[in-house]
Amino acid sequence: MPAEAVPFATVIDAAGRRLLAAINPAAAAAGLTPGMPLADAFSLLPGLATAAAEPAEDRAALRRLAEWCGRYSPWTAPDGADGVKIETTGSAHLWGGETELAADLMARLGRRRVACRIVIADTTGAAWALARFAPLGERAVILPAGEARTGLARLPIEALRLDPAAAQGLRRVGLKQVGDLYAMPRAALARRFGQGVVLRLDQVLGDLSEPLSPLGEAPIRRVRLSFVEPIADPADLACAAERLALDLVLRLAREGTGARRLDLAFHRVDGRVEHIVLGTARPSRDPHHLASLFRERLDTIDPGLGVEDMILAAFAVEPLGPEQIGFTGSTGGPHPNPPPPVGEGLGGGIAPLLDRVGNKLGLEALSRIEPRESHIPERASVRVPIDNSLSAHRGEREGTHRAGDGEGEVGEAEIPHRHPPHPVPLPPQAGGEGASGKVSHHFFRTNEKWHGHFNKPPRPIRLFAPPEPVEAFWLLPDDPPFRFTWRRLAHRVTRADGPERVAEEWWRAGGSPARDAIRDYYRVEDEDGRRFWLFRAGLAGHDDPPRWFIHGLFA
Amino acid sequence: MALRERIRRIERPTATAYGATPFGLAAIDRVLPGGGLARGALHEILGAGGDEEDGGLAAAFAAGILARLAMAADGIVLWCLLRPDLYGSGLAALGLDPARLVLVRARRDTEILWAMEEGLRAPGIAAVVGEIGALDPVASRRLQLAAEHSGVTALVLRRWRSGAAAQRERNRPNAAATRWRIAALPSQPPPIASSARRGQPPLTLSPARGEPPPISSPARGGGSGWGLGIGQPRWRVELLRCRGGEPACWAVEVIDATGSLSLVARLADRPDARLAAAKIRSTEFRHAG
Repeated sequence: MPAEAVPFATVIDAAGRRLLAAINPAAAAAGLTPGMPLADAFSLLPGLATAAAEPAEDRAALRRLAEWCGRYSPWTAPDGADGVKIETTGSAHLWGGETELAADLMARLGRRRVACRIVIADTTGAAWALARFAPLGERAVILPAGEARTGLARLPIEALRLDPAAAQGLRRVGLKQVGDLYAMPRAALARRFGQGVVLRLDQVLGDLSEPLSPLGEAPIRRVRLSFVEPIADPADLACAAERLALDLVLRLAREGTGARRLDLAFHRVDGRVEHIVLGTARPSRDPHHLASLFRERLDTIDPGLGVEDMILAAFAVEPLGPEQIGFTGSTGGPHPNPPPPVGEGLGGGIAPLLDRVGNKLGLEALSRIEPRESHIPERASVRVPIDNSLSAHRGEREGTHRAGDGEGEVGEAEIPHRHPPHPVPLPPQAGGEGASGKVSHHFFRTNEKWHGHFNKPPRPIRLFAPPEPVEAFWLLPDDPPFRFTWRRLAHRVTRADGPERVAEEWWRAGGSPARDAIRDYYRVEDEDGRRFWLFRAGLAGHDDPPRWFIHGLFA
Repeated sequence: MALRERIRRIERPTATAYGATPFGLAAIDRVLPGGGLARGALHEILGAGGDEEDGGLAAAFAAGILARLAMAADGIVLWCLLRPDLYGSGLAALGLDPARLVLVRARRDTEILWAMEEGLRAPGIAAVVGEIGALDPVASRRLQLAAEHSGVTALVLRRWRSGAAAQRERNRPNAAATRWRIAALPSQPPPIASSARRGQPPLTLSPARGEPPPISSPARGGGSGWGLGIGQPRWRVELLRCRGGEPACWAVEVIDATGSLSLVARLADRPDARLAAAKIRSTEFRHAG
């Protein structure tokens, strides 16, 4: 007996009762329905095979399926417990039309033994209703544009995605089909059965828009490569990545933008989707550079039995002037960027390097040292992530005009640009040759604030954060220690300089200054000539004796 | 062409193909082939004593070299480290503009090696620095080859987590072109006149209190063990190994705010510098044995 012919149901525990969660066609044929108590089901069908339902696993699987559907459109999302929404507007033509798209989807799902009912309609609500309540048979149904009203008229009232109480109320007054509601006055419906009924009706008929919130973020540009045969060889994957990069770059070039954040999705034959996500330090349109970034991360991808689709999506783009890349060559294809002259700085030269390092070690691994106006040593020189420091430079240059570039210029993308679930990240750097030249200039420019530091007593070359406590011995209240022990090593102080008093910056938030907030710093030299920066926290004459710390090392 | 030079060229065809960066100190530059630290090569810098763990002097010595390299090449210095404890003001005081510095914080030595190699192959980089504990011959050879290929100078600061690790790793051979060890020397107290001339009081005012207490009153000036303050830092700079050159040793004083070095007279005039070098060699030998 084939597996499908055995009545089977999954069972879920609900408030102490065991209910059927899902059933297979054989069980449905025997008269079982989801939600039926298990005891009743056994009385109808003693031979019913059961298993415990795993809702979390089901949700995860549905999510994976929705992600897999990303090969058809970037706008996909799981719908309830048993559906997947796909926004095909703008992408159906890539498959030769809606019919072909639906056929391909059905065939692929069939190969993966996923039972499905596929409906393409004008509105999410109409597609939902038809997929669940219309007699479909084995074929996908495509509701022609503008026919939602007639197509849905004969469906039961539950097809409107109503809450059960409202549906029951409608049935009680004899409104059993969706079509029955068309003639009813809206105000009366809303009054008697709640605003939900009217809302759902309007959504189904397209009078009210229903935004689809996609799984994850909607990309700005997307290119896809499907393979006749699944590929698994890393060399093939790298090659495909390069082709996709080239394809994407050509599109970006037409729009005068460069990619800042990319996602390369590998759709495996078993339906799983693996991703490589990467960011670039500045907008890039160099296919070889992008491909090399992906190539380095390919070892994180498990191709499984093979990859049948690869989708490269740009999630953040920024304007990038056309002068910077050599697209004018005779071959018609893009050339690799000529290596910029040494010294171009971040404007061109080292950005690829920063991308590579940032993508391997994490962008937070890259930082620069910048001066700040502060007396507190650890606040006077701070490490700034490389991205922020660039945007700070840009802010300096352009005044307050910092946000908005990303949003406005990508609105005309081929994919309808709706409300992105995440705000477009602040573009840290303007495009254009001139701008980047300035950035490189800024990048090299000595910050004048360091000069202020020269007027202070010498500062260490290494600073410990936080300061490390040392055990120190000293004679008079304002003396430097004559001996101290740091990391279990005793140092005898032979020379010292100080104190330099550093007090907590009282204008900063933080309330009353603790007595530890006053530090007396000493440069001390031990008998070997090593130099340390020690400080005494707290004042002598209080109940607790002052404590000593080492804060840094001198040259 | 002198025979020695020809042999050197045969042995190391690219050793000084990119020229050298002089220290600006004739005594040191004289010893180094090419009259300075060869560009496009790997150089190794060690600390001494407790500084092998903290890397203070090695970083300071490197900063002086990097300042000159970055100026000359007008490029970025990529500094790869495990513990990002470099302090901007201190670097600036040694002449290295922090604006030219990009820090790469790695979690492992292998990541540092990888980042260094990437940096050596990238354009726009004046020099690459890595603070590293374990440096095996193969890894150092890779760095040396990458440096030779691109002409970018690579510095390796050896920094170990513990004295035991230092003991274990310190004398293992590697492919660096030169190997330096920097140790601190006791400084000479500055003459009172010098600090007065610079217009900088030896004791500085603090924002919290108007009058800081003097560090040592005349009453206990000499007796309590410390002098009138701290002089310019002094280092013993040892060139332990140099491809195409002889080991040597100098005592230098660091000049503030520029990071340049000056020779300390007493040690510089020592009649037999070779003797000192030979002594170092023998201590190295003893370590290795």
